Amino acid sequence: MLSEFDHFKRSPFKIFSLLLYTIAIIYGCQNGYTLYKKHNLEISNIKTKISDSQSKMMKTFDDIESGSIEKPRRDPTTPYWAVRNTSTYSFKYPSKLMVFSIGQAEQYGYYKYITNWSTVFDEDLAHEIANPERLAIGTIDYNFIFLYLTPILLIILLFNIGGLEKDLKFENLILLNNISKNWWIFSRFSFYYVLNSILIICCLLFYVFRLEFDEANFNYFLNLFFIICIYLLCWFAIFYTINIFGNGSLDQSIKMVSIWLIFCIVIPGSIHQASSIKYPTNYMLDYLNVSREKSNEIFSLSSDSLNKKLMNSYKFLKSSTHAKDSIVSKSIINRSVSAIINDLNKNVNYQIESKNEKKNKFINSFNIFNPVTFCQNKINKIAETDYYSYKKYRFQIQSKIDDQINMILLDTWNKIKINKIKYLQYIDELK
Amino acid sequence: MIDIIINEWTKFLRNSVFVYLNVFFIFSLIFVVYLGILQNNSQETNRKIVEDEVREQWDNLEPMNPHSAAHYGSYAFKPMNLLNGLDGGVNDITGNVIKLEGHVQNEILFSEASQSLSISKFGKLKSSILLQIIIPLIIIFLGYSSIINDKKTGVLKLLVVEGLMLRKIIFGKSLSIWLYGLLLLFLTIIIQIFSTSSFESLNRLILIIISYSLYYYILAGLALYFSSIFKNNTTSLSIVMCLWIVWTIFIPKLWGNTVEKVYPLPSRQVFKDNMKEERSKGIDGHNPYDKRRDILKEKFLNQYNVDSLSQLPLNFDGIVMQADEEYGNQIWDKYFGKNYHILEKQKKLFQISGIVNPFSSLQSLSMGFAGTDMMHHLDFLKSAEDYRRYFIKELNDQHAYGGSKTGDWKWTVDSLYFRSVKKYDYKSAKIFDKINYYSIDIICLLLWFVAVNSLIFFINRKKNIL
Repeated sequence: MLSEFDHFKRSPFKIFSLLLYTIAIIYGCQNGYTLYKKHNLEISNIKTKISDSQSKMMKTFDDIESGSIEKPRRDPTTPYWAVRNTSTYSFKYPSKLMVFSIGQAEQYGYYKYITNWSTVFDEDLAHEIANPERLAIGTIDYNFIFLYLTPILLIILLFNIGGLEKDLKFENLILLNNISKNWWIFSRFSFYYVLNSILIICCLLFYVFRLEFDEANFNYFLNLFFIICIYLLCWFAIFYTINIFGNGSLDQSIKMVSIWLIFCIVIPGSIHQASSIKYPTNYMLDYLNVSREKSNEIFSLSSDSLNKKLMNSYKFLKSSTHAKDSIVSKSIINRSVSAIINDLNKNVNYQIESKNEKKNKFINSFNIFNPVTFCQNKINKIAETDYYSYKKYRFQIQSKIDDQINMILLDTWNKIKINKIKYLQYIDELK
Repeated sequence: MIDIIINEWTKFLRNSVFVYLNVFFIFSLIFVVYLGILQNNSQETNRKIVEDEVREQWDNLEPMNPHSAAHYGSYAFKPMNLLNGLDGGVNDITGNVIKLEGHVQNEILFSEASQSLSISKFGKLKSSILLQIIIPLIIIFLGYSSIINDKKTGVLKLLVVEGLMLRKIIFGKSLSIWLYGLLLLFLTIIIQIFSTSSFESLNRLILIIISYSLYYYILAGLALYFSSIFKNNTTSLSIVMCLWIVWTIFIPKLWGNTVEKVYPLPSRQVFKDNMKEERSKGIDGHNPYDKRRDILKEKFLNQYNVDSLSQLPLNFDGIVMQADEEYGNQIWDKYFGKNYHILEKQKKLFQISGIVNPFSSLQSLSMGFAGTDMMHHLDFLKSAEDYRRYFIKELNDQHAYGGSKTGDWKWTVDSLYFRSVKKYDYKSAKIFDKINYYSIDIICLLLWFVAVNSLIFFINRKKNIL
């Protein structure tokens, strides 16, 4: 191993490549770090805005109570408008491990304004405004550097191990010294494995300390490092096999590049294409139908029918003050309609998520042939930047929509007048 | 020159491994092109089904107030260009559906990338991946050792002694490798032509052929140049491979990120807040207490010389709604216009990287000529917004001048009227109308072409090379 260090020292091309790789790792992590900071900053700005808006609302309550202003057109003393004025948002707080993998974070929104009319496919949940060509080309994050460029660095570091000796025809001379060829190549490879692992851990630990990881995050980081070690080991094993049976540096390098092409471009690209053919882009017709056609049908129903529908879906309404009234109040029903539409939306969400899940299952079924994508999604999962992390966020949004609707229904049907205390209670419950 | 090319091709064909690998590659290429067309057609069929269903719902609407119909709205579905099968460009990343309705300008939603786990960082295995990544690698593998081997075997000296100029040999060998790339390129394009019937697509395909041909020539020339100046294959291959990695992987991503930092786009939150604030200064169509509404009311009362809205021979609510729309359109033009301007500046800056990276120019041209780049996407968005304006104006005019009176929200129009509203029909922009967006890329590729030819032409250290 130590003699390999002498070889390495004498190769400016390899040293330069390693330096470049180190810079790339730092650049990738820095990109992740910048995005992490940006998300946090944006969330903090929105929180300031929420706080301002809530303070303004509380002043309005004070003014209404003191009689210094008339009730506005959208009367906040009604549960409907009081809940609408809570300025509820749902955030997906970035994980500190986002530094190591931006993953799919740039394809989704991470904050959403919630009202009783919201859905998990609203346009304000779209990704940040960005150049689509830049998104299509992709961002350099650590995940990309590690999964796609580490094999290239390894090709540069390893392609002439055992090959140069064959090129210069003194391989037999080395073997004459009672050295096993496999052991000789293995020792030389081990040097680069150790070198690479140390380099990676040093770069990553810098960001671990910079972001002051807590125990939970550190455990995730250890998982990440475990994946890194295994992934490196796989590539070393492949290249080791190539070098053992290789016929010189050129032969080895061409085989290595071909393997890289197959695993990093051809296989993931083929599965991507196959999944698109089997599961074409969903135009979300079911969702569009609910937000337009079916909503329209609901709006055209009579108050009596809507009243029945609401009481069937929300059993707790049966014991409400309004339920005991002999006349159905049109205004109460109008303020409750969003609950019926929300139910329709929830059914559609379930169908859409099921369709997406089928596509994911299809993609995952190729994991055994597609280790690069497999590791990519594993790392994204650790960094909470994968599809499932955003699916979880969508559930979180849905739960907040449900909470708002339940509040509106309960207090509207019980004809509760909202004052500042009740408003603060809403804010607290919707936090 | 022709003798050199024939000789090189004979050498290629004598190598049975090369022939078998090529047969396999050509079949794979045909299969990949076919899959690209298949995927494109299946998505297009899907889109048409959805589009027709949505339109049918509109055509068969129950009698409804025109303003309610404006809220009911319509949808624009992004069509897939025929050449999307060749190069998907930004289509997987951008959304596919925009809701077109009154009062608000929505954003395009439901991108394919957001509907599943992340798969390939280099995109789907379409013709563009083979043409941009794999074929250039084959060209490199064919070229890096070509002159070095002739030097080692003494063939090069023999050729020079026979009177052949060194630069002619290098040009000849470059051309023979370039022709190989061209053969694969033509194969791809010919299959693509079978699925294409429009004149516009043919124009685009011709431009694609020219762009790729230039890039392949640049690569073949450089591989041969390095092969002629270096003494061993390892150095030659290392240098060309390094160039390929830096060009194909590093620079596009690195420069793409830099460009966004040089010309930053606003965050969605800031963008929306600014638009909302400015919009609030205009007429609010749904707020009867709005002061600006009163000013408009006075204007109309004076114009028709009447005392009250009920005496107007039109429905003033429709007028207010349209005034609200027109004010909103100005805000949209201002804010989205600013964003589009930033995006165009970003694009130009990105294209400038073509000076050091011909791959960036090729990538940009390939997407552009396939009609799947950002400029074409923006064109679709603008067209959808134009249609939204037409659609809402139609409904507001019907509301205002269709025969109802102010305040009569129960007045309805029937499906006969709804059917008379034109359907949204987007035709992709003609490439020659957009060609100026790609002038930097074209110039960069041409500059590289001239530079590579100059490098080969001015090789004069014959002693060192031989």
